[in-house]
Amino acid sequence: MPRLARSEWYDLTRDMNWTLSYVSDEDVWPQDLSNSYGIPTEKWWGWDEPYKITYPEYVHNQVGKDASVYSINAVLSRSRIFEELDPGWKSAILAHYGAIAVPEYLAGIGEARMGRFGRAAAWRNMATYGTLDETRHGQIQTYFPYGLLAKEPRADWAHKTMHTNEWGAIAARSLFDDMFTANDAVSTAIQLTFTFETGFTNLQFLGMAADAMKVGDVDFGALISSIQTDEARHSQQGEPTVKILIANGQGEVAQKLVDHMFWRSWHVFALLTGLSMDYYTPLEHRTHSFKEFMEELIVKQFMDQFRDFGLEVPWYWKEHFLPELDWYHHALHLGVWFWRPTVWWNPDAGVSPAEREWLEEKYPGWNDSFGQYWDVITANVRDGHPELTLPETFPTICNMCQIPLVNPAGFNAGRLAHPEPLIVDRDGRRLLFCSEPCKWVYEQNPARFAGQLSLVDRFLAGHIQPPTMEGALAYMSLSLAEMGQDATNYAWAFEKQLAVPGT
Amino acid sequence: MATRQRQQPKTWSLLGDVRRRPSAYEAVTAKFHYHFRREPTPFEHPGMPLNDWYLRNREGSPFQVDDWEDFRDPYKLTYKDYVALQHDRETYVDKLIDRHEESASVEGLSDEWVSTLRELYIPLRFPLHILQMVGLYVGQMAPSAYITNCANFQAADELRRIQRIAYSTKMLANAHGDELAATATARSAWEKDPVWQPLRETLENLLIAYDWGEAFVALNLVVKPSLDAVVNWRLSELAERNGDHFLAALLAEFQQDSNRSRKWSADLAQYALGRQPDLRQVMEGWTAAWTPRIEAAVKALAQPFDEAPVGLAATDVVSATGTQARDHLQACGL
Ligand SMILES: [Fe+2]
Ligand SMILES: [Fe+2]
Ligand SMILES: [Zn+2]
Repeated sequence: MPRLARSEWYDLTRDMNWTLSYVSDEDVWPQDLSNSYGIPTEKWWGWDEPYKITYPEYVHNQVGKDASVYSINAVLSRSRIFEELDPGWKSAILAHYGAIAVPEYLAGIGEARMGRFGRAAAWRNMATYGTLDETRHGQIQTYFPYGLLAKEPRADWAHKTMHTNEWGAIAARSLFDDMFTANDAVSTAIQLTFTFETGFTNLQFLGMAADAMKVGDVDFGALISSIQTDEARHSQQGEPTVKILIANGQGEVAQKLVDHMFWRSWHVFALLTGLSMDYYTPLEHRTHSFKEFMEELIVKQFMDQFRDFGLEVPWYWKEHFLPELDWYHHALHLGVWFWRPTVWWNPDAGVSPAEREWLEEKYPGWNDSFGQYWDVITANVRDGHPELTLPETFPTICNMCQIPLVNPAGFNAGRLAHPEPLIVDRDGRRLLFCSEPCKWVYEQNPARFAGQLSLVDRFLAGHIQPPTMEGALAYMSLSLAEMGQDATNYAWAFEKQLAVPGT
Repeated sequence: MATRQRQQPKTWSLLGDVRRRPSAYEAVTAKFHYHFRREPTPFEHPGMPLNDWYLRNREGSPFQVDDWEDFRDPYKLTYKDYVALQHDRETYVDKLIDRHEESASVEGLSDEWVSTLRELYIPLRFPLHILQMVGLYVGQMAPSAYITNCANFQAADELRRIQRIAYSTKMLANAHGDELAATATARSAWEKDPVWQPLRETLENLLIAYDWGEAFVALNLVVKPSLDAVVNWRLSELAERNGDHFLAALLAEFQQDSNRSRKWSADLAQYALGRQPDLRQVMEGWTAAWTPRIEAAVKALAQPFDEAPVGLAATDVVSATGTQARDHLQACGL
């Protein structure tokens, strides 16, 4: 191997910062693509990545990682492992592929934007590896479900979700376009890498990998834990960017960018990861509850990170975020299960007697709050009326996070002061928000968000024809064969006599 | 009993009713850019400023065909294949360096040759870094992942070349003086030496060629092929003549990456012309605008070739590079 240590020549790979002569700084780094927040060009040149790697190291490492993940897949795809997976777990991985696979590839656009419009050569180099990484993640996470198509037609959603107007797809697209596909390079470093990748990808990729290994889904577990090793590297573009903002008196900007994207990520991942961990993963294989994972991988890590950099926890931390850990995803789960024809996976109710016991243990009070709803649902199912558990009307949708409002369930569970959404009348339009932080995110930047119509707004504006449930399902690209059904055909409702009120 | 044929999807539904099952390369590349020509705006919230940027520079570029999704990288590279390919090539370069470190060949280079390298070789990381930046610009603006991936791998190849240049610069500095590895040595040449100014002017302007079609044509059809010919081919030859077999072999190695870039670029140009013959005018407009700029840059860079201990005539460097540039345009169908 070449004799010079990396540290002896590394600086020569990243000192390509120079003063432009023939064109202007504003033209080369336009604000829309690279918001300098007023910090002068040369102040950015000290950008210093904590994780150092060279191109030869990169290809030498990555080739081995890819070979091992693909070879596991090659072996397992010939086995019957997938067929034998628990139906709830299958739903978790189908939800994951739909929400994550193509967006990861698109995160490569955000990386390439930092690779072009990042304000230091060192940063642009890191983002070049990031671009490659996200290409990997997009490809590997479509390749695996592609192999499942013959066994599981819903695997098609790994590829098509972002092309649809399915409501979860709109929520994911709204989040990810805001975070990276349509974000400027400096904000991307704070919002994608510092806020999202250091926290929420850990949750989905490490947390779910732990569960996957216990479930025996080695394929998925190996895949996502390998991905996380790349995330751990390229997520470190956030730290030096935050440092430069703070050192140049722009700490408040960094704080706002974090507060904005942390909240948005929380809502979408409560939906994706929350349901997967606490309801879809088979009980005997759950390593921790979603709340425990959140506390370990997000709350603690973010508190540390904020303290290290002199940032504060977001303003809504105590009043809104921590309380939601106890109820928000439970309420979403009820809604998703009830509106199950509107999602591309089969929601697993996950409320058999033993599971309810676990929920009560992990979330004291669950039986009194959410259990009540499930009592009624269980009774209907047991009485032979599952049709009573299906929707005929639409929920309302938050104009920021694009997720249906579940405030009444939060109110009935004693967690919210009011069941009604927050209402804002603005420029002749009535906007509904699920929470103070969603309203705050919107109002920080109304020009960015104002023109968009939520799925319900589109319905009311006549964009969805015919204006019926069938019309809406077609608008969401859900065929009869793809609409979600109860994952276990209601087996949970019959597992053991329950103390159901009225029976 | 009638056997019921279970209908199994052959491939992604978005690929339609295909007769041939798509390859693995196609399954992980086709139709990933959901935002291209999306209505009403590329991105979910119409108020996002980048909608205007993409509508102007991508959807609004004169470089349009009905469908970009039928373009294929002639090398059909997925990420997995790309890192496997470059792992092999970098292993070769590691060994090349091992051999020359063992023989200490760099120490034997003459002062005169080192001073040529100081002028002509050491500053290269600056212009090549701009090729990396513009490659990623083409990647993020391209309307199909089939194109994006080629452009992004190309940008990574620039990173590769820069890093080995950085390594060899440090080798030179260890043998011939620390100052060779100082940032100021490369940067001041890049910022002030007349040899580099026409190239710097060209590349700084290339950075702001934001129409995606123009960025692709200017970078991959005009500027990069000429600059690559000077660096990987003429400078390699010059090194060989001056007894620097290490640099000669190292630079020649990068020609592999350049050839890959030229091949997919020519295929994409031909694809565009095949789909939309009217594009010839648009593309020739761009090549006509950028060719004189890179020619001026090559002319200035050719001067130190003349002045090397064993020189290459500047006029020969200019004409050989020009011939390669014209050959490439011809391969592009222009
Ligand atoms: Fe990723
Ligand atoms: Fe990432
Ligand atoms: Zn909301």
